[in-house]
Amino acid sequence: MGEHEARGWIRSDETAKQMLSRVLGDRAFLLLPPLHRVPLRAGNVVEITGSSPTAKTQILIQAAITCILPKTWNGVHYGGLEKLVLFLDLDCRFDVLRLSDMLKHRLLEAYQSNVKTQDKSKIVYDEELYVSCMKRFLYLRCYDSLELLSTLKTLHYRIRLQEACGSQVGVLMIDSIGAFHWTDRLSSSLALDKNNRKSLSLTNVVETIVQEMKKLMQVHSLVVIATKATIYEEKYPTNENNRNISSHSDLFGNPSSKAQQPPFREFMPSSWQAFVTHKIFIRKSDDHHKSLGQQNLSAYLLEWLQPQLSSIDRFIVDDSGIVIVSKHTQILFHVSSSHAVWYCHCLMT
Amino acid sequence: MIVVKVNMAPLKHLEMENSIIDECFRDFCASHGILTVEDFLLHDLYELAAFAEREANADRLKEGITVMLSLIELQCRPWLNGMELLEDLQRNKHTLSSGDNGMNSLLQGGYGEGQLTELVGPSSSGKTQFCMRAAASVAEKQEGSVFYIDTGNSFSARRIAQFICGGSDAAALRKVHSQQFLSPSLGAVTDHQFLILLTRNVYVQRVLSRISCHTVYDIYTMFDTLQGLEVALRSQVQMNVNEYRLRLLVVDSISSTITPILGGSGSQGRALMVALGYMLKKLAHEHNIAVLVTNHTVGAGESGKTKPALGETWKSIPHVRLMLSRDNRNSNCTISILKHTSMPSGQTVRTITR
Repeated sequence: MGEHEARGWIRSDETAKQMLSRVLGDRAFLLLPPLHRVPLRAGNVVEITGSSPTAKTQILIQAAITCILPKTWNGVHYGGLEKLVLFLDLDCRFDVLRLSDMLKHRLLEAYQSNVKTQDKSKIVYDEELYVSCMKRFLYLRCYDSLELLSTLKTLHYRIRLQEACGSQVGVLMIDSIGAFHWTDRLSSSLALDKNNRKSLSLTNVVETIVQEMKKLMQVHSLVVIATKATIYEEKYPTNENNRNISSHSDLFGNPSSKAQQPPFREFMPSSWQAFVTHKIFIRKSDDHHKSLGQQNLSAYLLEWLQPQLSSIDRFIVDDSGIVIVSKHTQILFHVSSSHAVWYCHCLMT
Repeated sequence: MIVVKVNMAPLKHLEMENSIIDECFRDFCASHGILTVEDFLLHDLYELAAFAEREANADRLKEGITVMLSLIELQCRPWLNGMELLEDLQRNKHTLSSGDNGMNSLLQGGYGEGQLTELVGPSSSGKTQFCMRAAASVAEKQEGSVFYIDTGNSFSARRIAQFICGGSDAAALRKVHSQQFLSPSLGAVTDHQFLILLTRNVYVQRVLSRISCHTVYDIYTMFDTLQGLEVALRSQVQMNVNEYRLRLLVVDSISSTITPILGGSGSQGRALMVALGYMLKKLAHEHNIAVLVTNHTVGAGESGKTKPALGETWKSIPHVRLMLSRDNRNSNCTISILKHTSMPSGQTVRTITR
């Protein structure tokens, strides 16, 4: 190698600052309230688990609104990402009126906080902005696993078509991922033993789903948010205090892994569980929240399981969307001294 | 055995319209275990293309894979954006009055077309009355026909006739409607006879003819009935002859057909329940029908409160879940929202039923 080439090889392509600004521009951190405790990046897969009804779809709608709003429009700051949202409705229960109402609320709120006029009742949201935002929300429903697989296989080409028009996809939402669980399980038990043929079993279907989504995420920078409804009833109480007590009594085994045990019975196959990078659990709070003069609204507790945060958000759902009411910190696990002594004793004998 | 609809078309059947899916292509696919379109969906296509690269007629095989993909894409539904969804909602999916003012005020209009509404309540809490009330209201005032599936022999044409004429108070009926519906020469007639006369009245009969009642005692007959309805609706869309389109589908009660098959940890019962739920939701959405189902309650052991039957999986199926409870002392019925797609749960309303 000549000296000139050697110098060229040693010389840097870009400085660290340039690289960071490029990467952060390409794959920016997304803060989607109410999931804002952990910044999300393209390539993350978030799973929101909760029984029904725990406002999971409301969380999706709220995150979708943040995604479809522009950053600024006509001088008003909305703080959105101006990206497309792909909503795969496997539950087939989506209500577009709710999306529309929440979007209108957000537009009005942002407009009101920006424009200082005396007569707030006369403010009307920008119709053109509303229409352009609604057009960034793309929706499809699937009635069974085969339709879902067909959709995922052809999704790449459809996203390409959209990107040709200049818009980028920000989030892929799935509501809810365990919808066809029982039907696929039945197919597994009915599958005949065929040589060389892959049967339509639960593991095969979920593996293919994960495979297709991984391929999509390699080519497009998007975040996947999936809700999951629990299908088994909770046999043990999910009261926070009780959970701490039960983690006390499990002495044999790493105390930190016991605290990470999910408070619901996991039913998705391991290929999906390995694919998920972030996990959230929502449950209903025991006490209701008294809002101004109206009936008691149910309150819900949102807990991050992965990465495990020590704070739990308490929120209610009202007309404008999800409102975080309070936040409490929870103690993950105690190991009292007497238990530690007994544990050591058992190790020695 | 009833299984969810599956696209099992073998590749051979596609050759007629797509000449590229010839013997060679099918042999290549068969060597990888792909015999039907369904198998094709379960395979990694890039891997398949890489294998095709090794063969002699690589280009033709890869072209075949592309054609298969485009066939799959033709079957997929198009993506709709938010504005198109709203348009469909406002144009096609109206709210049907439930026939009861309290219920209408709670649900901001009534039962939604395209939605599956569930009424949960202990026995004799008024679920069947609400079903019949809704049927009467739709058939009479909302120019629609009703498909009523009855699983417990609780359908009563006479009761619906009472609802049509605005209540069961016979004396009030006579006063208000005697001029309109019945001949003036009524004379002294007992309430029972009056009801029979009512059902023979021409106007009432015309309204009742829009309600078709089907008795179903098990889940397989239920599937058959619903599939027959689906076929009939699809052919109707093409003919567009029927003046009164189907607007309400009632299943009273769905839990009595599902509970016998649920049980144990096997997946058959729950899979059938989910399949039934999806069939109802598909009918509701594609044909703009409001579906009303009833469910009973079971006593929960530890917490002591009664909870709806059919378990945790069923909770994710209906759009709207309403809990009915009746006060035995008076004829008040309390309706509370357990789940709604656009309203918070917990709202209640009290209504008077007779």
